[in-house]
Amino acid sequence: MKIGLEIHVQLPTKSKMFCSCPTTDAPAPNTHVCPTCLGLPGSRPVLNRQALVYGIMLAKMLGCTIADTTWFSRKTYFYPDMSKSVQITQYDHPIGVGGVVYLDGKKPIRITRIHLEEDPGKTKRTADMSSLVDYNRSGIPLAEIVTEPDLGTPAEAREFLTQLVADIRHTIDLPENGERSIRCDCNISVGKERCEIKNVTGLKNAERALTYEMIRQVQVLKAGGKIDRETRAFDEARGVTYSVRKKELEADYGYIDEPDLGIYHVGMLAKSITIKESPLNMTLRLAKQYGIEEAKAKQLVATSTDLAALFEQLAAATDVPTALTWATGAVTANWKAFTARNVPAAEIVDIVKHLRAGQITDTQCALELKSYMTGQSAESAAAAAADLEKIIAGYLDEHSEVVADAQKNDRAANRVIGFVMKQTGGSHSSAEIVEAVNRQIKQRL
Amino acid sequence: MTADATLAQLKRLNDAYQMFRIFTADQTAGDAKFLFSAKDNLTSQEYETCCGSRILEGYRPIFDATAIARLKTAGGKLIGKTNMDEFGFGTFSVNSAFGVPKNPFDRERSCGGSSGGSACAATVLEDHISLGVSTGGSVCCPASFCGIYGLVPTYGRISRYGLIDYGNSLDKIGLLARDPVKLGQYLPVIAGKDPHDPTSGIQPELKLRHRPIRSIAVPKEAMKGISPTVAKAFENGLQILQSIGIDVERVDMPMLGYAIPAYYVLATAEASTNLARYCGMRYGHQDGDYTQGFDAYFSSIRTQYFGDEAKRRILLGTYTRMEGFRDRYYAKALQVRMDVIDAYKAAFQNHDAVLTPTMPFVSPKFTDIAKMTPVESYAADYLTVPPNLAGTPHLNCPCGYDADGMPVGMQFVTDHWHEDELITMAEQWDKLFDVRIPEVKA
Repeated sequence: MKIGLEIHVQLPTKSKMFCSCPTTDAPAPNTHVCPTCLGLPGSRPVLNRQALVYGIMLAKMLGCTIADTTWFSRKTYFYPDMSKSVQITQYDHPIGVGGVVYLDGKKPIRITRIHLEEDPGKTKRTADMSSLVDYNRSGIPLAEIVTEPDLGTPAEAREFLTQLVADIRHTIDLPENGERSIRCDCNISVGKERCEIKNVTGLKNAERALTYEMIRQVQVLKAGGKIDRETRAFDEARGVTYSVRKKELEADYGYIDEPDLGIYHVGMLAKSITIKESPLNMTLRLAKQYGIEEAKAKQLVATSTDLAALFEQLAAATDVPTALTWATGAVTANWKAFTARNVPAAEIVDIVKHLRAGQITDTQCALELKSYMTGQSAESAAAAAADLEKIIAGYLDEHSEVVADAQKNDRAANRVIGFVMKQTGGSHSSAEIVEAVNRQIKQRL
Repeated sequence: MTADATLAQLKRLNDAYQMFRIFTADQTAGDAKFLFSAKDNLTSQEYETCCGSRILEGYRPIFDATAIARLKTAGGKLIGKTNMDEFGFGTFSVNSAFGVPKNPFDRERSCGGSSGGSACAATVLEDHISLGVSTGGSVCCPASFCGIYGLVPTYGRISRYGLIDYGNSLDKIGLLARDPVKLGQYLPVIAGKDPHDPTSGIQPELKLRHRPIRSIAVPKEAMKGISPTVAKAFENGLQILQSIGIDVERVDMPMLGYAIPAYYVLATAEASTNLARYCGMRYGHQDGDYTQGFDAYFSSIRTQYFGDEAKRRILLGTYTRMEGFRDRYYAKALQVRMDVIDAYKAAFQNHDAVLTPTMPFVSPKFTDIAKMTPVESYAADYLTVPPNLAGTPHLNCPCGYDADGMPVGMQFVTDHWHEDELITMAEQWDKLFDVRIPEVKA
């Protein structure tokens, strides 16, 4: 089985791709529109440079070769929500080609290309069988990422999408407004001929649509039937795909160069743009560079790439085991409160440095971190921590079998954690409780 | 004649010549410093804009074309929108859904096209400037047939914001006037960068320094197929130019012969995508049967309201960009275009301008036009198409009259951004040559 994806990402520019209409949610249909995105006769596109910048950032993230010169083309098709009956997209010279993404850091998924294009409007069916068109979305910039058919199963496709979306959000600071801003076309072939499921919204739906289509194709082939190359749609409510039209080849859209926009020499611009390390790459690098377990590295990065960066600072200031213990322990436990406080991370490094120098004890270190990171006074942090420690100690005194069990069973601590959570009634974060319980069990071993 | 007097007789003149698709009923010019008209493919808020096509009937734009807006700011009053071939598709302005402008020298004959109405208005109305649009010769051709001056500046000199597209890589706004001084007066008003049109953004500043043309190349290829009366008037023009000390050299420019096929491939390919938006949904006629699927509805509106020539060019253009034909036609035509530009650049190494007749014949009678095949009428553009394909500025000057008194024109082409020399030439020429003004019959 072969699965290839075409992923559409709405780029987070402030204005549309070819006009100055806002990209924010509109108060009513057809209010964020102008002559350009309505395709009124005599209007013209003017390229939003930021869309090009985001395109280059994503091309770099995907390991694509970035073209020195890039330009736009016209793709002609008649559809009510396409205001010009022509979509401005890229054909001959996309922004990037030939990249690769390593799924979970291992399996290579080849990236055919990444190009920029404008989103069409939206067609809405009404109960009385008429259609309403809203052009607020018309002209929102999109990046389309096309993969080779390197994905083996619907589950793998979802896993890939999850990873890719996390990387995209991180690279271009795409806000987390659900999964709605990510859409994909899913190509799947069980036998020789493939079908394309158009415009599937969300990661879960991609897996559902692919799974349904996989089973459908297997059944057709088993019954001695033939799979026709076609475009299908996914009905989210019923969880089924259905045929929409026989598939045209891409070249059938009669592409020509877009004469209203010039040729963009992006070589220098591309050189000047650096991107943040993706979460996955950071995980792999941390594991390798510091010789720590990949699971630990993943835990750090998944909490926050800033936390992972702090771990690196701690490792430089102290040593790797100390850095890992505290970064995954007390620092993680208080991370959420810390990010809300907006105070410098350097102080955290200093506290752990004092511990390493023998100036403070483990307990003092945990207290100081909590106090600094949450903004509680040292006294109340100490009192709260003392309460927590007392509850845990009391429980462990009464149930010494838990400590013995913990040597063999990873989940032994859960009993304690559950008890303490009930007792404290939400006055301590779960991360904090987990940290304290694990620490006390470790001390008693 | 005062502006008010012109306005007073507008209806009578239009009844006689049909230059306007729509025009003002105002009888006074008010504070306006001058009157102007514009081809009906330039948007303006106060008039319907239809591009000579029924498919846009009833369409009132919500914004002014930049060129129109700039003329208004300079104190101009837009008195009407001029008749034209549908979307610019034609050489004689007969492919119009609304009225065919009549030649001021002989109303049995064409004004040329596709800016025929603009040329007619500029010829008939006194003290007038009219905006035309040239894609493949649509300003110089009607200027030649009506015996006036027509200037098309370099591609990108004047913003195309508000110019309703025929072929975006070819479309250029131009100026038509009896008095060549008006060309130099109004070009600076409408030229210049415009944030609404990126292709206007790379131009060097327009500077009118009155630089004269000192040396001219006349391509031998241009003289083939020219009618004897045109050839005679043209040679006479050359003699006048030589008499004031301009060097004239006959040169070979074989690339000019490939311009027509390349032009029709590119122009129709672009046009077929530009016209895709007219489907009875957002503007113009929307009176089809709504119970059909959208494909059938779009087809029904397009079938009913596009004229024959528009349909022909949509089909031609769609064909040339189809899979399997794209490389053979569209991609090759792009290459020919580069070669034509190179041929001009080579000529401009040694000469300030390239000069040819503008049209191979004088304006034909409508009865003769009716007998022409589409290919015959396309071929009539073979001298006006090359500079349009190259995006180089060009100018029509009247240079003679045939036995029936019909005007003959010659076309100067200069290098990109060299409008200055053309305007200087026009002003110089007007002192050397006796331009006839037709007797207005209204």
